[in-house]
Amino acid sequence: MTVHPYPAPSPSPLSRPGAGEPRRARSDRRRADLAETIPLAWESLLSNRLRSVLTMLGVIIGIGAVITMVTIGRGAQTQTESQLKSLGSNLLFVQSGVATTGSPVSQGAGSASTLVWEDARAIAASSPAVADVAPVLNRRVQVVFAERNTSTQVVGTTPSYVPVRDFLPLTGRFFNQAEVERAARVAVLGQTVVDALGLTPSSALKQTIRIQGEPFSVIGTMEFKGVNSFRDMDDQVFIPLTTMATRIVGVNSIAGIAVDSISASATRPDQMDAAQYQITNLLRLRHGIVPPRQDDFLIRNQADLVSASNSVAGIFTALLGGSAAISLIVGGIGIMNIMLVSVTERTREIGIRRAIGARSSDILWQFLIESVVLSLCGGLLGIALGVIASQSLNQVFGWKGGIAVDAVILSLLFCLGIGVFFGAYPARKAARLDPITALRSD
Amino acid sequence: MLQLEKIRKTYRMGEVDVPILHGIDLTVLRGDYIAIMGASGSGKSTLMNILGCLEQPSEGRYYFDARDVTTLSDNERTDLRNFQIGFIFQQFNLLPRLTALDNVMLPMVYAGYPRHERLERARQMLADVGLAERMANLPSQLSGGQQQRVAIARALVNQPELLLADEPTGALDSRTGREVMDLITGLHAQGLTIVLVTHDAQVARRTRRIVRIQDGRITADGPPAG
Repeated sequence: MTVHPYPAPSPSPLSRPGAGEPRRARSDRRRADLAETIPLAWESLLSNRLRSVLTMLGVIIGIGAVITMVTIGRGAQTQTESQLKSLGSNLLFVQSGVATTGSPVSQGAGSASTLVWEDARAIAASSPAVADVAPVLNRRVQVVFAERNTSTQVVGTTPSYVPVRDFLPLTGRFFNQAEVERAARVAVLGQTVVDALGLTPSSALKQTIRIQGEPFSVIGTMEFKGVNSFRDMDDQVFIPLTTMATRIVGVNSIAGIAVDSISASATRPDQMDAAQYQITNLLRLRHGIVPPRQDDFLIRNQADLVSASNSVAGIFTALLGGSAAISLIVGGIGIMNIMLVSVTERTREIGIRRAIGARSSDILWQFLIESVVLSLCGGLLGIALGVIASQSLNQVFGWKGGIAVDAVILSLLFCLGIGVFFGAYPARKAARLDPITALRSD
Repeated sequence: MLQLEKIRKTYRMGEVDVPILHGIDLTVLRGDYIAIMGASGSGKSTLMNILGCLEQPSEGRYYFDARDVTTLSDNERTDLRNFQIGFIFQQFNLLPRLTALDNVMLPMVYAGYPRHERLERARQMLADVGLAERMANLPSQLSGGQQQRVAIARALVNQPELLLADEPTGALDSRTGREVMDLITGLHAQGLTIVLVTHDAQVARRTRRIVRIQDGRITADGPPAG
């Protein structure tokens, strides 16, 4: 560029407004404001409303599903946690039977009664980390009142069941130690049983019901506890352990009254491990278990149950969320498809814009922003859909799961990513169009 | 202002090279008012596209002011189109979804002017071409002549030094065509350099200089007869 046939440009001679002011230096030129492009993109989406909505549908459904699934998963998780807490605080669960590990043929915990009432008494007497101990003997039997009858879980236990399981009477009272010692025929009914027998919490008191033909006097009903992962806590009838063993089950081992399980509560949450250790050692001693013999009991604590159910719920949430995410990707492909169509349809527009001074990067941004606006709109609608769906499901199932805020934010970011990722190729295609070819197309 | 030296353009159609321009030498002076005439296929449109920096010549040099366009990058040529060249097309080429005002503002959007400045100047330009009442209309709500005047306003809004018009009256009836030519001639009178392509002798007669092209070569270059 040494010899120039012409002098440097002079200002335009036009007597137009602003013609006298100096021409903008080329370095002043900046890309068209991004903010300018957004209303343009919005207008182009509005001008083809049906198509835009259909295109967004994939993203709407995908995001809606992700939000719903995650919210429901979380709701179910909190639900399980609160149910497990309702089992009682600091609860340890001793089940009779051999542990499953090591034995070639497992009989499963609880298949053989190896625990007796004496074990429970010993734990209460000699384990300093244990607060209360309740032995439990269960049978599913028929309960009759007047014309009505129901099959329910009859639980033989001791008065310490109340503090151990944190489960209180609603009306009347729980049976006392004296009634246990004289094997009194008294019963405390769960609310499901009260309903099934056509009674109310107050009218049930002092009635006589028959359990497996034996008459029992109702002295109380239990508070509502709801269904936990193991059983309907309200579908139970509580009677003294002694009465249960002699009148209902009638099988005693030589070591005393056999029980299915022993529930024990630790004195404090941080005493759970100590309590478990003390119970294990005590029971090994009492049952004469020395290695290599297997323990004939199994101790589980509430933390184990919570973490087990949490990991199940976590896997569930991940699976549901994952399948929803796949539908999001399908939605993204829909966006890419429609953006490609849009580039083809608007080739001439691209040519005109290029001719009057749009750089190829301006065109790239225009289409990229259009695709991002499309996917973000879909995302917002999807979030609305997901929030509505999950809230109404929460109402139906009575879950207390709130909106998964992190899922909402993540979804929006994901939508942004989808818009950019699936918009990039069409936008690049548009930006690379040769201006003259584009201008000549119809 | 413009100088073309031995410009050749060859298109490749599959296996065959199709030469369109065979060495064009042309000088456009500041303030020129030129009509390029020729039969279809003569290469006049290709010449216009090269003048407008929309296409690169296969061979030769093209100086715009002091700059050799053939060595500029795509972005530099785009900026040249944005700031120094205004285009008018036979089919107007307005964006159908934008109002007249938005269409006129578009080159300034790409030039990076702030919005208030764009609005002010676009309104002024539309008023200058007699469309003050039609600013909010879409192109489809305007007549052909009105659309072409919007296109002229758009072409001039960035105060270019050169106006290129490709058959500006080709899609208009003779009366509106004359009105549009009055407008363009008036711009020349104000000092704008104008090159237009036409095969209408009536249109060509209003210019100061006629360049005839045949088979990719300039066959005549001089003031209109009479």
